[in-house]
Amino acid sequence: MNPRKYLVGAIGMAIAVVVAACGGTSNTPGNESGTLTVWLMTGSAPPSVVEGVNADFKAKHPNVTVKVELQNWGDISTKLDTGFAGSTPPDVVELGNTMVAKYAAAGALEDISGKKSSFDNSGTWLQSLTDSCTLNGKLYCAPYYAGSRAVIYRKDMFAAANVQPPTSMDELLTVGQKLMTAHSSDPNFSALYFPGKYWYAALPFVWDFGGDIATQSGGKWQGSLNSSGSQQGLTTLANLVSKLSKADKTGDEAKQDAAFAGGHIAMIIANGWEIGVITDAKAGNPSLKDKLGVFPIPSHNAGQSAPVFLGGSDLGVAAKSKNQALANEWIELLTGTKHMSDMATVGGVIPNTTTMLSLGTGLNAIFFAAAKNSRFVPNSRNWASVESANVIPDMLVSIFTGKAQLPAATTSASDKITTILNGS
Amino acid sequence: MGAAITARDLGPVLHRPRRRRFNHLPYALITPASLAMFGILAFPLGMLVWLSLQHYGLRELIAHQGTWVGLDNFRVTIADPLFQQVVVRSLLFTVANVALTIIFSTLIALLMLKVSRPVRTILMGGLIFVWATPVIVAIDIWQWMFDYEFGVINYLLTQLHVGNFIHHNWFDDPLQGFIVITVVTVWGAIPFVTITLFAALLQVPDDVLEAASIDGARPWQIFWNVTAPILKPIFLIVTSLSTIWDFGIFNQVYVLLNQRPSSDYFVMAVYSYRESFGVTQYGLGAAIAVVMVLILIVVTFFYVRQTLQTAEIT
Repeated sequence: MNPRKYLVGAIGMAIAVVVAACGGTSNTPGNESGTLTVWLMTGSAPPSVVEGVNADFKAKHPNVTVKVELQNWGDISTKLDTGFAGSTPPDVVELGNTMVAKYAAAGALEDISGKKSSFDNSGTWLQSLTDSCTLNGKLYCAPYYAGSRAVIYRKDMFAAANVQPPTSMDELLTVGQKLMTAHSSDPNFSALYFPGKYWYAALPFVWDFGGDIATQSGGKWQGSLNSSGSQQGLTTLANLVSKLSKADKTGDEAKQDAAFAGGHIAMIIANGWEIGVITDAKAGNPSLKDKLGVFPIPSHNAGQSAPVFLGGSDLGVAAKSKNQALANEWIELLTGTKHMSDMATVGGVIPNTTTMLSLGTGLNAIFFAAAKNSRFVPNSRNWASVESANVIPDMLVSIFTGKAQLPAATTSASDKITTILNGS
Repeated sequence: MGAAITARDLGPVLHRPRRRRFNHLPYALITPASLAMFGILAFPLGMLVWLSLQHYGLRELIAHQGTWVGLDNFRVTIADPLFQQVVVRSLLFTVANVALTIIFSTLIALLMLKVSRPVRTILMGGLIFVWATPVIVAIDIWQWMFDYEFGVINYLLTQLHVGNFIHHNWFDDPLQGFIVITVVTVWGAIPFVTITLFAALLQVPDDVLEAASIDGARPWQIFWNVTAPILKPIFLIVTSLSTIWDFGIFNQVYVLLNQRPSSDYFVMAVYSYRESFGVTQYGLGAAIAVVMVLILIVVTFFYVRQTLQTAEIT
């Protein structure tokens, strides 16, 4: 090496040290500078909430720039894989609650067990969300928000057909059939619009009859979509779909709000925020605003409601992040009481703590209440692979289209789930 | 082959300079291009092969440290019945799409020779427009046209009394689904091949064609016995390029099927992507990609050899 190369190397080192120091957290609080990169999912927090969090953060750390980058659900696992693999991953990451275990197990997320008490309401966090953040007794993320589904229906169509919201699965069928009869002249009409791949909405039927996706005993997972309970639930659902739905049996739920706004549908199973999409002035149909009602997905036991899937998101800190303390502070703000109540009232999502479930008003109250009787997918680091392999959607499609008999389809899916969950 | 031998036999007859001084200039001139090729192609390909010999999951990806497993990934892949189906499906798809692309492109190129100038300009404009449309945008448009709920194709077919296509799902039956994918793929491939063939057709000497027709050859005979042999090198090039593109098809399948293709729709690139980013088995995904490259090398070797031989004759 000649002297000039040494010089170049030395300058490079110096720059690296300076940059690292700027981004680092060893400085006295309030003096840090640099950039904090935050990955949030599209539609997760209303812009006003994000702005509020950033303003509060700026007040404490005036020299730190917060860069919030919105990601899409469609290709998120590709983005996360490559983001975490790089040497400068995003500092704060929003993760779907079914994806946390995979990334925590791979060492992508920082263990924040020691910081749990620094978060507001950490003692009353929603149990399912806390579970999704926990792997082998350690906490890898903070619960962010939840979503649970109920049935959105057209009050005017119900009134015209002279039916009431059903209180059991049997009633759901009879009510649906009356609606179908009332609209028999409309070939596009669906009493209950149910796209074939909509597995989040299929799970309540499985759980309600005592079935499950998989059960764990002695450290081994066993797929159980072919158990008698699961099969009963899926048979009930398949019957509803064949009699009440004109939705694409191989499609997913991405277009269901647009379809519902189109006016040929009486009921959909949906999240609370979807009311906003349906009645949106541009993408939806605002005239439906006063015509929408909500009831919980009924159980087969009359008068009860079926357990629902608790979807939602968590916020984690990347293990390779150079700004972990700052990242943690940012998460504390967003998940804290002040901004969480905005998430619930402005965003209409279910907040991360049981103490705020009363914030749901009007139609939202029914969605918030549904979260109380909620279930979650198997908490395994391999679960995300079951999702990526489309095991459950493919099973539903083959049942609804009649490509396979229900027992065979459920057994095949169950075997696949067993293999993937127990994989290394 | 006879031609090649003749060329070689002629070699000694040709005048050869005695001993030339080694000239650095040509090598210096190709160095930047070679370095770029190495950086863009050889290095990633080498990394791919390296990856395919390791167990490389998400944990390994984040730690940048895989476990050496030799040829295990290849053994697992080749023994997988799904993989065998995928290979056959990809090959059939390639044959069908390349054939359709070449046939339609040739017909359109010949048509362009015959039509009047304004019509030719319109045709050319249309082709360039298709070519210039970004592929994802184009596929999105096609996806909406074939949509189950809102698609214009279903509406038109129903209005034209072809049958009841209301709520017809084109992707329910994989055969129909692949017909749609073929339509979209061939549609996107036609402009380049057509314009290339059209340019080549302009180079076919008129006097040769005239002589053939004076000798009483029918148009079909003229095309088959005069035009086609002259165009042979161009046909070889567009066929081998189309083969490479169609065998590696990804966007059309992935985007048309909403990024969630079922296993009925797996072609090699989609399958490799799914193994890599779907179930985070990057080693297995890489092994599939390596097999794909090997198959392509075998398939295109034939064309490349033909092209080189044709070049030697002329």
